[in-house]
Amino acid sequence: MNATARLVRAEVRKLFTTRALPVSAVIAAVLAVTSVLIDAAVAGKTGQHPLGSAAETYQMLKLGVLPTVVMLVIGILAAGGEFRHRTIVPALLASPHRARLFVVKVAVIAVFGAVFSAVIFGLGLGTIVGTLAAHGIHHLPAQTGQLYLGSVISGACFGMIGVALGTLTRNTVGAIVAAIGWAVFVEEIVLQTVAPHLDKWLPVGASIGLTNPPSASVLPPLAAGLVLTGYAAALLLLASRTTIRRDIG
Amino acid sequence: MPAITISHLTKRYGPVLAVDDLSFDVHPGKVTGFLGPNGSGKTTTLRILLGLAAPTSGSATIGGLTYRQLPDPVRQVGAALDSNTFHPGRSASQHLKVIATATGLPHRRVAEVLDLVGLGSAAGRRVGGYSLGMRQRLSLAGALLGDPGVLVLDEPLNGLDPEGIRWIRGLLRALAAEGRTVLVSSHLLSEVAQTVDEVVVLSKGHAIAETTLAELAARGSVTRARTTDATRLTGVLLGAGIQVRLVDGSTIEARGADAEAVGLAAARAGLPILELSRQDEDLETLFFNLVHDRQEVAA
Repeated sequence: MNATARLVRAEVRKLFTTRALPVSAVIAAVLAVTSVLIDAAVAGKTGQHPLGSAAETYQMLKLGVLPTVVMLVIGILAAGGEFRHRTIVPALLASPHRARLFVVKVAVIAVFGAVFSAVIFGLGLGTIVGTLAAHGIHHLPAQTGQLYLGSVISGACFGMIGVALGTLTRNTVGAIVAAIGWAVFVEEIVLQTVAPHLDKWLPVGASIGLTNPPSASVLPPLAAGLVLTGYAAALLLLASRTTIRRDIG
Repeated sequence: MPAITISHLTKRYGPVLAVDDLSFDVHPGKVTGFLGPNGSGKTTTLRILLGLAAPTSGSATIGGLTYRQLPDPVRQVGAALDSNTFHPGRSASQHLKVIATATGLPHRRVAEVLDLVGLGSAAGRRVGGYSLGMRQRLSLAGALLGDPGVLVLDEPLNGLDPEGIRWIRGLLRALAAEGRTVLVSSHLLSEVAQTVDEVVVLSKGHAIAETTLAELAARGSVTRARTTDATRLTGVLLGAGIQVRLVDGSTIEARGADAEAVGLAAARAGLPILELSRQDEDLETLFFNLVHDRQEVAA
C-alpha cells in the first residue's frame, strides 16, 4: 500500500473514532425524517399546498440543506480539530509532506460528504415516498433526481469548505460561529435586503440553487454547482498555502 | 558520525530571536540532555529538527537529512513533543492506530508499545480521562511505535510520579545501550542528571556548554584561597588560564581548578597560602549559575 492510500485509511479512521460523526449523523437523520413528517402534517392546511402536489413535494425535498450544514460542521471539526487538540503534531510527524496530508483530508471529506448527503437525502426521500404512498400518491416531481444529485454535490462542497475554514481559523468554535453567522446574517438577512440579486452568487445562495427546485431567484443547477465548487477550490487553495508554510507551534 | 546535527541554526519570530546561531551534535549510543530554562529555545530547536517549524537560517538534520527528507520518518525518529497532542474522545489504542495506519506499521505494535509504557490496561479508555503522567506515557508510546533509532523527547519527565521517573530513566538508558540516539530536553538538570551522558546547555537561544556530564560537574569545583596579596594571586592564576574571582583583599575563588593547581601556581609566584579549601557546587546550582551568568551578560 502506498503512502497516499495509507493516509486515506488513517483519515477515515480519524473520522470514525470520535463522537462528532455519529452524533451529527443521528441529528441529520432525525431532522430529515421529522422535517418531512412535519411538512406532510401541515400540507393542505391554511396557506399550504395539498399533499401530493408538486409544490408540496418540492417543499419536502428541500431537506438537502441538512447534510450540507452537517458536512460544513464535520469539515470544520475534521480540520480545525487537528489544531484544537494538537493532533496535527503526530499527524505531521507521521507524514511530514503537508501538501499530501492536506489533499488527502480534503478528498476524504469530499467523498464522505457526498456519501453522507446521499444517505441522509435518501432517508428523507424514503420518508417522502412512504408518506405519499400511505395517502395513495405514487409519483414524485420530475426534478427529484436533480435535487438528489444537487444535495450530494452541495454536501461534498460544504465539507471541503469546512476543511478550508477549520484550517484557516484553527479554531473549531470560531469557524462554526463565523460560518453560521455568514450564512444566516450576511447572506440571508443583510444581502437579501441590500442586494438580493447578489445572494445567489454566494456560497449559501449557490447551495440553494443545488438543493431547491429551480426558480428565478436561484442559479440554475449547473451554474450553482460551478459557483459552489469555485468557492470551495478558492478557499482550499488559500488554506493549503497557509498550512504548508505555517510553523506548527 | 553524529546522528543529529544542529548547524548555525537561527530562528527569529519578528523581533524575538528564539534560537541564535546554535550548533551542536548528538551521538548514537548516548543519552544527551538538552538543557535550558523555559524560553531558552529548546522546544523551538526540536520543532525545527522535526520539520514542524522552518529555520530562519542554518540547518537541523538527522543522519544528514532534514526530517521531511527522511524516507520513513516514524521508523527512523521517534518524537514526543508534548503531552497534549491527543483527541480527548479517542482511546490510546485508537490514537496510536491512526499513526500506525498512516505509516504502515502493524497494529500489533500498538499493543506492544502500550504494554511497554504501562498503559496496556488503559488502552481502551478515552484519553480525555487520562492523568498528565498517563498522557506522558502515551506520548512516549507514540515515539516508540516505529522502533526508531533516534528518539527526541521534550520534557518527558513532566507530570510523572517518582516511580514513572525512575522507570523512564531506566528505559532511556536501555535504549541508549542498544545503540540508539536519545535527545532529552529539560529545564532541570537534576531531573536528567542520573540519565544523561552528555549535555548541551542552552540560554537565550545560544549553546553555552556542550560537554559530558562529568566535565560539567568539574566546572562546579571551586577552590577558595586566602593569601597575603589576593590581587596579585588573581593575576597569577589568570596567567595560568584559571578562571578566578577576587572575593576581597585576601581571598580568591578559582573555578574549575583543583587545590593543587592553585597551590602550585601561588608557590611558583612566591605567594604564601594561608588557607586553602575546596567546595563542589551541586549540579543544579552549577546549572543555575551557568544560565544566570549568561542571561546577565546578555541583559
